[in-house]
Amino acid sequence: MQKERKFLPRLISAAIFILMEIAALQMLSRNAELQRLWLARAAHGVMGTVWGSTQTVANYFNLHRINEDLARENFELREKLESYRNEAHAFRVDSMGIAHGRVQGFDYIPAEVVKISRNKQHNYMILNKGFEDGVQEKSGIITRSGVVGIIDAVSAHYSYAFSFQNSDISISGRLGDEGATGLLTWDGVSSDGAILQEVPLQYKYAVGDTVYTSGHSLMFPSDIPLGVAGEARVINGATNEIKVHLFQDFTAIRYVTVVHNTALDEVEEFGL
Amino acid sequence: MRKGKFWLVYLLLAAAQMLLCNYVHLSAYLFISILPVMVLCISTRVPTWVTMIIAFLTGLAVDLLSEGIVGLNVLALVPVAFVRKEVIRLIFGDELFARKEDFAMRKNGFGKVALAIFLVQALYLGIYIWADGAGTRPLAFNAIRFGISLAAGWIVSLLIVDILAPDTRK
Repeated sequence: MQKERKFLPRLISAAIFILMEIAALQMLSRNAELQRLWLARAAHGVMGTVWGSTQTVANYFNLHRINEDLARENFELREKLESYRNEAHAFRVDSMGIAHGRVQGFDYIPAEVVKISRNKQHNYMILNKGFEDGVQEKSGIITRSGVVGIIDAVSAHYSYAFSFQNSDISISGRLGDEGATGLLTWDGVSSDGAILQEVPLQYKYAVGDTVYTSGHSLMFPSDIPLGVAGEARVINGATNEIKVHLFQDFTAIRYVTVVHNTALDEVEEFGL
Repeated sequence: MRKGKFWLVYLLLAAAQMLLCNYVHLSAYLFISILPVMVLCISTRVPTWVTMIIAFLTGLAVDLLSEGIVGLNVLALVPVAFVRKEVIRLIFGDELFARKEDFAMRKNGFGKVALAIFLVQALYLGIYIWADGAGTRPLAFNAIRFGISLAAGWIVSLLIVDILAPDTRK
């Protein structure tokens, strides 16, 4: 009560003080040209700062919508790229001069990661798209920076996926454009480290060569850049094990694309 | 000091300030003002908002009746009235308010009174010179003007503070 008694007169004094100073500034600007210009310049500066700040805040709240637009645009571009790539495959000829037909067809579905684990040996992620959106089990998950996981189970609106940062996951990788293939697995330690295993010794490569998806795993289209090759070590005198620095930073995944091989069921009928 | 006598002295000093503004132009670097010490010496029993209105009217009268820019003294003097009680509390302590007394040179000492005058004079001149320059004068000019005016205003204020705030002890 005592505090309230002291607070109210101070509030009134502060209000009167502000009003009087505004009145003084008003008088100054009306009676002196120099002061009028000076005050106008100061007012414009303040207005600019205030409007700039509010615009920054408005932009921040629009970021989610902008990100979604970008993800949609990214997805459409990926679809176009894939169709061009398939057309290029159709006209590819081998060393015998024989033309090869279309290799694989993939469906692409944009999705958003709603939950992801990163601190376990068997990491997972949950996407906001389910079977009602066309997502199927055994589909791959990619971003513009590489492969990030494999769908394991789907509900109506969500999908559960194994992250690439899972010691049970391996995908088929290829060194360079035409190099050797091997199994790419997470190194189990870093957020951007992987190991390309079972690379035959006779295949030569250079540190810094790009590692791509080979297309042998059926879940992922070929030629997606995954990372760059690092140092190698020989395992049991038979194969090379090459360190790979991934392009994908797993600490910053949000928008992804689910890819499903339309020929997967047909190939699996062979019971391989 | 009796209330009526204080306000009479106050009005006379306001008139003296107008004369100073109109007829004493010694240098572009020198601006003498006794308005801050006049506001500082208003009784501590007068509420802040009333002091601010008095400061507003005093500043406006000096602006209108002298060759200054209308609004300049008002802009600089109202903040002095706004912080006056806090300055007094900071330098002289709460006892002054508890005993409902005003400060005086002989009672509270030269040092404290001089410091209080220095603070309000500096606040007033800082705003006055900043607004008067309107961003067109170099910082060095403003700084020199501030220093010289502060020294001159402080000395003049010390000379008249005894008239405004005499020791009322018997």
